[in-house]
Amino acid sequence: MLKKVKKVKTTKTKKTLRRTSKATQNPIMNLNKAKELNLQFQGTGLSSDDFKKGKVCTTHWLGDTKYAWDRGIAIGKYLEGLKQGKILGVECHKCGRKMVPPRIFCEWCFKPIDNWIELLDTGTVNTFSLCYVTWDMERVKEPLLPAVIEIDGASKGMGIMHLLGEVDPKKIHVGMRVKAVWKPEKEREGAITDIKYWKPI
Amino acid sequence: MAMKERLNKASQAKAWYGELPVESLYTAGIAGEKFFRSIQKDGVFLGSKCPKCNTVYVPPKIYCERDFEKLDDYVEVAECGSLESFTCVHIGLDGKRLPEPILVGLINLDGASTSLIHKLGETTVDELCMGMRVCAVLKPKAKREGKITDILYFKPTKS
Repeated sequence: MLKKVKKVKTTKTKKTLRRTSKATQNPIMNLNKAKELNLQFQGTGLSSDDFKKGKVCTTHWLGDTKYAWDRGIAIGKYLEGLKQGKILGVECHKCGRKMVPPRIFCEWCFKPIDNWIELLDTGTVNTFSLCYVTWDMERVKEPLLPAVIEIDGASKGMGIMHLLGEVDPKKIHVGMRVKAVWKPEKEREGAITDIKYWKPI
Repeated sequence: MAMKERLNKASQAKAWYGELPVESLYTAGIAGEKFFRSIQKDGVFLGSKCPKCNTVYVPPKIYCERDFEKLDDYVEVAECGSLESFTCVHIGLDGKRLPEPILVGLINLDGASTSLIHKLGETTVDELCMGMRVCAVLKPKAKREGKITDILYFKPTKS
C-alpha cells in the first residue's frame, strides 16, 4: 500500500550550509589561495563556529581507546634497567656499535644481539628544542626542553630523546654535558619517566 | 640468545598500557542535513530519488549507488513502513551488558526503496514479525535537535 510520493521543493543547500565565500575565513583550508591557484574543491566549507552554533547536524563521539603496547624483549629489559637506575645498551659483535635504546638485532649487520652493556647516566646534548606547545597542542609559557642526548659509553651519535631541566633555556647548547636526574627508587616504575630530566654538569 | 627467548606464561608478557583521548564530530552531510532538518522542522521523512532508476534512498544520499547519478530530487516518504528484519540487542557499544535489551529493526518506509535502521518500541520481541507495519514516534517538536534521536523509535501499528 504505497502512498503517493509528493515532491518537496528543493531548497538550495546554501541556505542551510555556509556559503563558500564565507568559508574563505577558514584558516585550515585557505580557499582564497585555492582560487589564486585555480584549484577547485568540491564540498561545503565549514568553520568551527558553524559547529558551535549548531548550524549543521552532527553526531558527537567521545572515544575511550585503551591500548597495550608490547614492550618487546630489548625495550622490556631497558625499562627494567631504568627501574634499577641503570641505562642499558647493547653491543653488536660484528660492527662493534654500542647502541641505546637497545635492540635485538643490528640493523646494519642483520645480526642478533645479546651482548648487554651498562652505560653511564651522563651524556652530551646532540640537539634540542624549546617547545611552547604540549603534545596535545596546548600553549605553555615556560618552554618544555626536549633534547636528544648522546649517552656516555655508547657509540657516537647514539642517544635517547629526553627532557632537560634545572637549566636556563638560553644557555642550552649543542655539546652541553648533562647528567640524569632520577626519580627516587621507590617511585620508579620501569618507564622512561623514571629519569625526571637531565641537568647540566 | 635474545631472539630465541620464549615466554611460557601470558603474565610474563610485559606491556605498556595507555589511553588515547579520541573525539569526533561527524557531520550529516548535504543529504543527511536535509533529512534531519525536515524531521526536526516538519516531522517529514525525505528520500532522494534517482532520475535514472527511480530508486528512492531513505536516508537520502547525494549520488545513486547503482548508476552514479547525482541526486537532488528530494521526495517525501511516509513515516510508516514495514519491518524488514529485527534483532534484540543485549550488549552495548562499550561491550557491556545493557540494563534493558534494545529492539532494533530494519524499516522500509512506504515510498522508499531502501531501509532505515532504528529502534523499535512499545512492543516486545515476541510480538515482532517480518513484514509487520510500524510507524515512527518522534520527539516533541521543541525537543528535536536535527539528530537521528529525534525519532524516538518505531512502534507497531494495526493495519
